[in-house]
Amino acid sequence: MRARSAFFAGAGSVAILAVGWQAGLGALSSAIPTSQAVASGTSGTGTSNANSATSGSTAKPSSAPSSAPSASAKPAPAPAPVTPTVADGTYDGAIVNTRYGTVQVQAVIAGGQIVDVIAVKLTDADRKSEAISAQVAPMVHDEVLAAQSAHVANISGGTYTTQGYLQSLQAALDAAGFTG
Amino acid sequence: MSTTQPAARASKIVPATPHGERITRRYQRRVRGMDFLESLVYLSVAVSIALFLADGGAVYFIRLTAWGDLARGMGIVLGLVGSDLLLVSLLLSARLPLLDRVFGHDKVIAQHRKLGKPVLYLILAHMVFLLIGYGLAENLNPVAEIFSMINTLPDMLLAFIAMGLMVLVVVTSLVIVRRKLPYQVWHAVHLLAYAAVLAAIPHQFSNGQLFADGKWARWYWIVLYVGTLASIVIFRFVVPLARSLRHHLVVSEVRKEANDVVTITMRGRDLGMLPAKGGQFFNWRFLTPGLWLESHPYSLSAAPDGTHLRISVRELGDASRRLLAMKPGTRVFFEGPYGLFSESARTTEQAVFIGAGIGVTPLRAMLEDPHIGQRQAAVILRGSTEEEVYLWSETYDLCVAKEAWLRVLVGSRPHGVQTWLSAEAYNQGERLTTLAPNIVNSDVFICGPTPWTELVIRDARRAGVPEHRIHAERFDF
Repeated sequence: MRARSAFFAGAGSVAILAVGWQAGLGALSSAIPTSQAVASGTSGTGTSNANSATSGSTAKPSSAPSSAPSASAKPAPAPAPVTPTVADGTYDGAIVNTRYGTVQVQAVIAGGQIVDVIAVKLTDADRKSEAISAQVAPMVHDEVLAAQSAHVANISGGTYTTQGYLQSLQAALDAAGFTG
Repeated sequence: MSTTQPAARASKIVPATPHGERITRRYQRRVRGMDFLESLVYLSVAVSIALFLADGGAVYFIRLTAWGDLARGMGIVLGLVGSDLLLVSLLLSARLPLLDRVFGHDKVIAQHRKLGKPVLYLILAHMVFLLIGYGLAENLNPVAEIFSMINTLPDMLLAFIAMGLMVLVVVTSLVIVRRKLPYQVWHAVHLLAYAAVLAAIPHQFSNGQLFADGKWARWYWIVLYVGTLASIVIFRFVVPLARSLRHHLVVSEVRKEANDVVTITMRGRDLGMLPAKGGQFFNWRFLTPGLWLESHPYSLSAAPDGTHLRISVRELGDASRRLLAMKPGTRVFFEGPYGLFSESARTTEQAVFIGAGIGVTPLRAMLEDPHIGQRQAAVILRGSTEEEVYLWSETYDLCVAKEAWLRVLVGSRPHGVQTWLSAEAYNQGERLTTLAPNIVNSDVFICGPTPWTELVIRDARRAGVPEHRIHAERFDF
């Protein structure tokens, strides 16, 4: 190969790689704002924010028509902390962005207990992530029901899924005013 | 010749005659073609990586402390580059007419061989990096990760089988180079390369995202895969079969040329439409009960005249007898023409043809090419005995007709000297430069047994012939 052609081939290749890298970063940065929202979502304050983004119904109290339906209502009956009156219902968790796809769960609360956690969306960036989700989610689910809390051990081999799952769940519990 | 020599030496780059200028322009076009095609390979590697990065792959590389991510990103990139070059390597073996015209069959195949090992290493590294990367995510060691992948991911068993086949194909190719395996065994194993490629495709679809909807990479890879597959099917199978059927080649004469040498003349329809030139070779398959299973590469021993093709074959003992026993009218299937060992490879007007034994065949056919003009050729023939200067009388007649310079060196080589010359010529002080005084300004075409050919090439280099003017066709006995 002549030097001039080698130069053009090399420079062309580098240019193509640079364009690909920039395009990839551009796609990433458009995803970053959402993950910012998630960070605040876990702290509880941004919960409603995250929920509205889901376009799903916020803190559906459908199964408990007798109770106050508002999720934003903090535990109102302050003088009765012994029996925390958490409204029965299905509460949407925040959408959590992870490296391997977004995660969102719903917490089903009845009689002041977490009776179920429904996975709306789990890590699914590739087939491997889907496989890990399918493996890990039921384990976290059982841990959560046993502990009645989002503070449970990480499942090794599914760190991203576990973390996303628990973050989303915590947001749902915060929305419900569930303190365990 | 002596009058043009000083002029040619004074201006090496711009030949004096219009004919020479045409040859130079044709050669420059070929060089541009080489550079262009070679650049395409580098660019295709860059494109395959860039498409991955743009489609979201950049995310693997933004956190430089996340070892699992980095390993997975690297694994994917290595797999992409490996696949890209694997397809290039398959294209190189697909007998694409464009590649043959630009580089010549032997160079293309040499490049195909050179790519074998790097491609294997890339794909092995792809596997290792992904085993480590996913292993880190799942807290598994890489070996345990193999089973985890096979159990949790689709098509991974096939992918691991493909990997095993690739190792087998490359290892047997390296062994055959050292001549420890019979050709048939190597060839059978080599065909497994197709199986390996096919077995590796499903996991690229289902686990990788090469073909995911709405991604640019999808189109790139579809075009590359379909293009490669189509090239192989068309140029290795459809075109040879169609040509064999169309030209309906049959043996018209079988003649014993010398001991162990047989000249076979074949007749066919519309042979003028076949883009063949003197010096090129075909793979021949004679449809007789004893021979139809084998196909052999032989060069034409006469320039195609539009109605006949002719080969002269040296085969030892049995094989030679079986060829001699062929009846006129025997059907012949062929693949070809192949090779750039023809007048098309010339870079300048003057040519020196150097052949040993049966190696004279493509040189004699090339000399007959109408594009080789009067006083443009010097011919040097070698044979251990007079009988082994095959096709002697017709070569002599051609040299007379084209006013070519002809030297014949008969006899065995001198003892204790590394030379391609006969002892007699060597002792008389003959060298390449005395046998072909104008060799520096000529293209040199060499055909003979491999070790002998290497010695001629060595002398041509020492005489100052630039590399791009040395053209060699080697054969082995």
